[in-house]
Amino acid sequence: METVAVIFGGRSAEHDVSIVTAIASIIKPLELTRKYRVEAIYIAKDGAWYWGDELKDITLFTSGKIQDYMHKNQPASVQFDGGMTLVKASGIAGRKQQRKIDIVFPAMHGTYGEDGALMGLLDMAGIPYIGCGVSASAVAMDKVLAKQVAFANNIPVSKFLTFRCSDVEREPNAALKQIQAELEYPLFVKPAHLGSSIGISQVNDETGLRNGLEVAAHYDDKIIVEEAVQNLIEVTLPIMGNDQPMPALLEQPMTKPEDFFDFDTKYMQGGKKGKSSAKGSQGYSQIPADLPQDLYKHAEQAGLDVYRVLGCSGIARVDMLIDSKTKKVYFNEINPLPGGLYAHNWHAAGISSVDLVQKLIALAKERAVQRGSLATSFNTNYLQQF
Amino acid sequence: MKHSLKKLWQATSVFYSFHYSVILVYMLQNTEYQVGPYLKWYWRTQNFTKVMTRRKLDKTKAARAVLFGLRTGMLLQILTGLWLVYLGVWGNVTGGVEFGLAVVVSYPIIWAHLVAVPLELGRILIVLPKQKRQIIASEKIFKNHKGAKIAIAGSYGKTSMKELLLTVLGEGKKVAATPANKNVPVSHAQFASKLTGDEDILLIEYGEGAPGDVERFAKTTHPTHGVITGLAPAHLDHYKTLKAAGEDIFSLAKYLKGKNIYVNGESPSAKEFLLKEFHLYNQDGALGWKVSDVKVGVDGLGFTLTKGKKNLKLRSHLIGRHQIGPLSLAAVLAHEFGLSDEQIEAGISKTAPFEHRMQPYLLSGGWIIDDTYNGNIEGIRAGTQLLKDLPAKRKLYVTPGLVDQGEENERVHIEVGELIATAQPDIVVLMQNSTTKFIQKGLESAGFAGELRIEQNPLEFYNNLREFVAVGDVALLQNDWPDNYA
Repeated sequence: METVAVIFGGRSAEHDVSIVTAIASIIKPLELTRKYRVEAIYIAKDGAWYWGDELKDITLFTSGKIQDYMHKNQPASVQFDGGMTLVKASGIAGRKQQRKIDIVFPAMHGTYGEDGALMGLLDMAGIPYIGCGVSASAVAMDKVLAKQVAFANNIPVSKFLTFRCSDVEREPNAALKQIQAELEYPLFVKPAHLGSSIGISQVNDETGLRNGLEVAAHYDDKIIVEEAVQNLIEVTLPIMGNDQPMPALLEQPMTKPEDFFDFDTKYMQGGKKGKSSAKGSQGYSQIPADLPQDLYKHAEQAGLDVYRVLGCSGIARVDMLIDSKTKKVYFNEINPLPGGLYAHNWHAAGISSVDLVQKLIALAKERAVQRGSLATSFNTNYLQQF
Repeated sequence: MKHSLKKLWQATSVFYSFHYSVILVYMLQNTEYQVGPYLKWYWRTQNFTKVMTRRKLDKTKAARAVLFGLRTGMLLQILTGLWLVYLGVWGNVTGGVEFGLAVVVSYPIIWAHLVAVPLELGRILIVLPKQKRQIIASEKIFKNHKGAKIAIAGSYGKTSMKELLLTVLGEGKKVAATPANKNVPVSHAQFASKLTGDEDILLIEYGEGAPGDVERFAKTTHPTHGVITGLAPAHLDHYKTLKAAGEDIFSLAKYLKGKNIYVNGESPSAKEFLLKEFHLYNQDGALGWKVSDVKVGVDGLGFTLTKGKKNLKLRSHLIGRHQIGPLSLAAVLAHEFGLSDEQIEAGISKTAPFEHRMQPYLLSGGWIIDDTYNGNIEGIRAGTQLLKDLPAKRKLYVTPGLVDQGEENERVHIEVGELIATAQPDIVVLMQNSTTKFIQKGLESAGFAGELRIEQNPLEFYNNLREFVAVGDVALLQNDWPDNYA
């Protein structure tokens, strides 16, 4: 039986979202397959790694007992021994408990996880893992870079400007002046690297812009300010695959034009402000999006194009903005690890949670085989010259 | 090693836990305080920590009284044992320590059996005489009742047929029926005591369990009509053979001298008992009414009944072709009892699945057909036919197999496997138990080519079903073993 390590938590503003993704959408269906031994690895907010079966229980986190757990248990360590082995104290006569890992399922959102940092570590270990690789993750998690790559590949993006946080703090008026000169309200101000809509502001005037920049600078060292698309239809498309990506269904968040998804709307209020009956990110959207067939196909193709040009593999979710009058589709951003794997959308596309995690593991193995066939050595007499 | 020791400790220590007495009362409650089945279950159980899986003890008055008595008895035995130990140590009573310790250690086993004594005595001295008086009184009520009395007998489908007739006939007549699946003489007696006397039709379900039951029920309830829903291996622990079960069920026809007897013509095992004076109902119709324009869907069933120039366009929320026969009979009987076409069509349109009986619902976008209450091969035949008929992107079939199949167990479960294979599901999920290998044999012999999954923990599977299904799936769940079989 293969051992799959699910890594979640992490030093990120999306730490809590990652816990839910890991336990509800990955660990549970993985265990239900009965095909894998599943190991839960939790990265605390201070960066310490913990490994144990108790970490598979969401109540450990919801009740706050995770603090007690971390006091009672030593952090685990990872041994790179031509692969990856988890090591921790067993509690019996100073013996160590070890577990060789065959596949890693990263369930990290945001910094030090979804942004390619973890993928780099796993590549170094030479272990197959689910989801995008280092470069695609890094580009995808940088909203500015992702837009630049898309734009360079003739995929439309809305007009935007980008600033270093230090520049905004040093010369806020210069930034304001440039933004107001080059872009038109309403605008969106976003931290360049965060997902789950954290730190995003929609602004309509200078005061709002000033506040928005301040909020975004609190979370990130890079800020993106972009023009809102007019006559907006917002859609998102989960995609799975390596060389032949397969789309799920275009999903249309059910927001009013004046509204937008901040973290509170997305995760704390059941998806739609004021609607408490819906739960999580599954209750706020229409699947499939109610679009004319040609526009639907156009947006679906745009999503697949973005997935390909950014070099994504495994799974990702592409967010797009549509001007309903001009029918123009703009790439907005891409999420290399969608919250909860966007399992609700895959269900609607006919893929159950148990099938989804198995397909993702198969894709991870496929990519590992492809990469394994590449040459990583080159024989020379360079050393002999010294 | 450490894990095994932990398991052994859990399995042993439960005997001396405070919870043990609750487990015993739970077992009694689940076997309806019948000593035989309770003791059989007790002796069969290897790990008492796993007994209360499906639900918790329902703390009724009776359960609380038994629990109190049991705990008091256990406490007295412990105290007696300790007193003997004390006498052994301090009073120089020979063997006091050994005997005292034996008394203390043995209390869980002793009281698991002693608890049955007052229950059996109470049953013999109080309950049975009281029930006998009620049954004698009910015989007079049934005999003098002016309404039509329709007895419903058979190895399966009785409650569904009764509810169906109640819904349809109730559109135009005053109908009373035995409640839920209460179908033994004392339930009939309690039903009789509540009758007002002005009912047009009585529906009485016969829950046979041993030879002679149906004949006895008929003599008490004086039916004027009889519906036999089918014959299949059930209660073979008492009947021993299917033939014996059939003879008992068809004794209803003998009582009615072959008149007003309606038999499910789709029950293969019932065929050898059929006489020409019986009226058969099946997918082709009933009493000369012919079925046409059948439409089977996951959300219902539609068809037309025709006789001469008369047409009844029927639409029910029940699902599966196997419902056409019972629905036809209900419609035709309603016609015979004088209901108008509109009343019949309205009655049929109100028929809907009962809980856990071919009950469809949506889960994670996929259709689940919950038929976990089914417990016989004919239900499996109907269910697998339905699964075959329904369009789906992916089909799943889930079952633990059947209980109470006696000597027929292997043969029946091989047939179950073969029937499942004919539905061509993509995935078959079996719950690991004594029947699994026979179902697998049937699947193999019928050339099943899909994915086979064997679950060790049925409850966990059912609770997580949403993780296994998606839009486009149809999953049929048939049979579920209660705790005393699992």
